[in-house]
Amino acid sequence: MNPFVFTTPTKIRFGEGGVSSCGDHLQELGGHKTLIVTDKFLAASGKLDALVASIRECTENEPIIFSNVPPDSDINCVNEGAALARTNDCDSIVAIGGGSVMDTAKVINICLSLGGDLLDHQGINCISKRLLPLIAVPTTSGTGSEVSFVAMVKDHAEQKKLMFGSPFLAPDVALLDPLLLLSLPAKLTAATGVDAVTHCIECFVAAGTNSALTDSLCLEALRMLKKFLPVATRDGADLEARSQTLVASTMAGLAFTNSGVGVVHALAHSIGAKYGTHHGMTNGVLLPHGMRFNLETAQSDYGRMARYIGVSTDNNELKAANDLIEWVNALLLELDMPQNLKELGVPELNIDSLAEIADLASSDPAIMFNPREVSSEDLVSILKEAY
Amino acid sequence: MAVYSNTDELHRVMVDLWTAIKNDPAMSQPLLASRLTVQFHYREPEGRLTVDCSDGEEMRIVAGECPKKPVVEMFMKSDVAHEFWLGKVNVPLALIQGKIVSKGPVNKALALLPAIKPAYSLYPRVIKDHGLKVSA
Repeated sequence: MNPFVFTTPTKIRFGEGGVSSCGDHLQELGGHKTLIVTDKFLAASGKLDALVASIRECTENEPIIFSNVPPDSDINCVNEGAALARTNDCDSIVAIGGGSVMDTAKVINICLSLGGDLLDHQGINCISKRLLPLIAVPTTSGTGSEVSFVAMVKDHAEQKKLMFGSPFLAPDVALLDPLLLLSLPAKLTAATGVDAVTHCIECFVAAGTNSALTDSLCLEALRMLKKFLPVATRDGADLEARSQTLVASTMAGLAFTNSGVGVVHALAHSIGAKYGTHHGMTNGVLLPHGMRFNLETAQSDYGRMARYIGVSTDNNELKAANDLIEWVNALLLELDMPQNLKELGVPELNIDSLAEIADLASSDPAIMFNPREVSSEDLVSILKEAY
Repeated sequence: MAVYSNTDELHRVMVDLWTAIKNDPAMSQPLLASRLTVQFHYREPEGRLTVDCSDGEEMRIVAGECPKKPVVEMFMKSDVAHEFWLGKVNVPLALIQGKIVSKGPVNKALALLPAIKPAYSLYPRVIKDHGLKVSA
């Protein structure tokens, strides 16, 4: 067995109504004055009421609510949130929302805890001290940001994506409350769920970084998503399906933050940066093509995965691997996801745009975890197939 | 036991290796095109090497202190650097495990990895020239 490191700094608490325990966790972590980071839709939805009441009761302070986080957050939003926290002497953060909210909260935490120029803290593992207490409450099932060590925000002015990676960025507590997801629209349920599916599959075949621990998380999370993602998409009020997909998404997050993703994420980040497409949907469109590309190096892993989740009984690895790819295609159809980049809204790709996306993807950190080396020509070829 | 016995030895080897990279257009051109300045911080023994491609025309290699502010910084043990140049380091794993720590937009530096891979074959000769053994 190869040596590995598996890190999980986050306490994970699952349960219906679990958001009401937030104040207790803040108390344990020594938080007295809390910044709640969220988006305007959640702030207007009434879903923060139980959270605010719990924090107020346990900290004996009114939390400060920052609800300006857009779907694709940026450095200006981070600075605005950090300034609000400083003005109000906040010593702890609660993020409630999707991936953009949670990533924004992580980067606000860097600003508050470390100070200085935010750009000086970019990188992998260059943050080497504990940050302020952070609790994450996901309201989608997909990004895994509630347990991941990574945060990405954009610098729109410089047209750059800033990446921060360190175990110290991981939330101290992840509160998984399926009741918060009951009203998530079907389209968003499906799209974020496909992101989690992609995490499972890419992480399982990552280039020498996976381990028995990440493997087990990927396999079981994918089995849960196979069974329950279509149910949660069809019937958002199905609490069991919501619970299973929420926990599966967190499991996939634990796995990928320890062993990485691959070419599908690298391309999805790049297409998303250029055309503003939804991350989960973009992953979905690209996933079968990325898997086909990786087939020559990953077929036995795909085969193992196909048998584990019950989409193949074939002992021939190539056949079983193809069964997994076919299952992904069928899932995307069942979830009514876009089937190609054109349906996703990407305009026709000419030589220049293909080269630009390939260039962006080549320098995306996700690509270094891909099990097969990927050239620019390979990226262009995957893009053409996916269009 | 560490491969490099002291900072001077480490610096001499790294400067020679990067000079060989500089003299090979297939490797140096992509680096110059990136206009990146990368600084390597070594420990055990301590060392610092800056590769400055910022003007896009000439690669400057500076051992020790360098006034130029780098875009990307990489921190590692000198033995990890040795293993890297022998092609024996799984870079993603080393980053995840913290054996290599990166500061700055690491994606820009990672994109250049394929360009410098041919230097893996140059390194054994460079260290032999300095009287060092290939195996750590």
